[in-house]
Amino acid sequence: MIELKSVTKLYGRVIGVNDFTLTLESGAYGLVGPNGAGKSTLLNLITGQLRPTLGTVRVFGEDPRNNAALFQRLGYCPGGEGLYSNVSGYDWVKYLQRLQGMTDLEAERVTEESLELVGMTESMHRPIASYSRGMRQRTKLAQAIAHDPDLLILDEPFSGLDPVGRYELTMVLKDLILIGKSVLFASHVLHEIESLTQSFLLICGGRLLASGTAEDVHRLMVGVPNEVRLKCSRPHELAALLIREQAADAVRITSDGLTVTTQNPGRLYEALPDWLASTGLTISEMHSADESLQALFNSLMKMHRGEL
Amino acid sequence: MIGNLLAVFLFEWKRSLTLARMAWWLMLAGFPVFIVGLIRFTTYEELPRELWAGFLFALGPMLMTMLGTLLWTTPAVSVELERRSWVYLAVRPHGTTTVLIGKYLAAVTWVIPPVIVGLTVAVPLAGTGDGWRLWWTMARLICLACPAYAAVYLLIGTILPRRAMVLAVAYTLIFELVISFIPAVINKLTVQFRLRALLIRWADMPVPSGRQAGMLTLIGDAPSWQYVLILLGIAPVLLALAVAIIRLSEFSSAAESDL
Repeated sequence: MIELKSVTKLYGRVIGVNDFTLTLESGAYGLVGPNGAGKSTLLNLITGQLRPTLGTVRVFGEDPRNNAALFQRLGYCPGGEGLYSNVSGYDWVKYLQRLQGMTDLEAERVTEESLELVGMTESMHRPIASYSRGMRQRTKLAQAIAHDPDLLILDEPFSGLDPVGRYELTMVLKDLILIGKSVLFASHVLHEIESLTQSFLLICGGRLLASGTAEDVHRLMVGVPNEVRLKCSRPHELAALLIREQAADAVRITSDGLTVTTQNPGRLYEALPDWLASTGLTISEMHSADESLQALFNSLMKMHRGEL
Repeated sequence: MIGNLLAVFLFEWKRSLTLARMAWWLMLAGFPVFIVGLIRFTTYEELPRELWAGFLFALGPMLMTMLGTLLWTTPAVSVELERRSWVYLAVRPHGTTTVLIGKYLAAVTWVIPPVIVGLTVAVPLAGTGDGWRLWWTMARLICLACPAYAAVYLLIGTILPRRAMVLAVAYTLIFELVISFIPAVINKLTVQFRLRALLIRWADMPVPSGRQAGMLTLIGDAPSWQYVLILLGIAPVLLALAVAIIRLSEFSSAAESDL
């Protein structure tokens, strides 16, 4: 479905995507990466808006640049808003369907259907300027799915949606996946993607760091040291305890606590309450830096560079 | 493709039916009337017909047509890029081409009517005695000038979308208003030169015989049909160029932080 061969995209001296090679068969995929990772650049290359500086991009076996036939099979929901404020959601979606080559009647029908699917029927004749952020996201999704594309490319589609909206649109997308549509879904929020698919592409610094299922990624992370920050009353005593119990690979004492590096955080979390109870030490705050996606990417970047 | 063009054309027209745009419409129609009225009622002597023809030409086919098309077509691409709506159009079959040409057609059909309406009121107000002839001359010149200028400004807007307005104003001032009046070969590159040549012929304005040679460099000596053909040819040639440029251009929907 999508094939990128050694694709590099340069913006002057800035690298957007760096030597990216990827082959995706039909299916649903989550493109995960922190802000500025190159997700949008990658999607722009796949949708043909950008030309790779090096390498080749193929979607359904074709070059996506100015490819009218391919655009019939492609639905794209970009990350930015970019809606016309003085037209209604209905008029806008219908206009874009007319640009797909549909007749006026066809465009009216698919516009009504798609807006109904995303829960916008009641508000569709109001000017877009009066829409909430969530309503705009729904309208954006409607324009992407209205012409029944084979491949749906979504860039942060849940941004600005409330939990109910997220759930509803997740259901819409799940239904599309179930009927065999392919979806490439970019987000910097891992659980948004997990709700739709178990196939991940992890991208950071314009590079593909890892791909596979969530389990594959977790397996990849085994052996990667985790960092835990503890705020406590007597950091030196706690540090000595953790070293004595072999619960830490390294300990760094800071002004208000200590930072523990461990390859086995599970043991630390399990045993810590008992140790505290027996020694009388108190911990007021505990943070695991590695819970954030950025930390995961930092570790993967280090692995990629051979530093881990 | 035709259906897509029609869709863009109708969408742009529908979007233009706002109070602000209607005010612009009235301004384009009313300005020549206001200026001609001002001259007519503040001048005690009867002005020569040729002078009136010059005024009407400057107001209609020149200023109002240039202003109308400049404001409509120059930002055709930049406004979509700034609003970040370009990407929705760019991922449609022939999207960028149809949007460009559709916007062009909407602009041309939007600008011609108010300028002609203004002219229709301004010509009788001038009271030249051969109003019908002057009206017919100006109407034809407007219909030739509008597509040509719209194509010029659209091309400028596609070459440098982010600086389009500055570039278009600079082009208008330097080329159409200064260079077109320089008695040298370079003035033949301007739209103004062709329009002026046709004005002289169609309005049957005399060329002073003693200065014939000098005037020829300002109005040319080719037959009218050649000028008409060139003015009609400017639009398709420049539109084709604009389409080619837009198809080669890369506009990313990525946020600045991603670039």
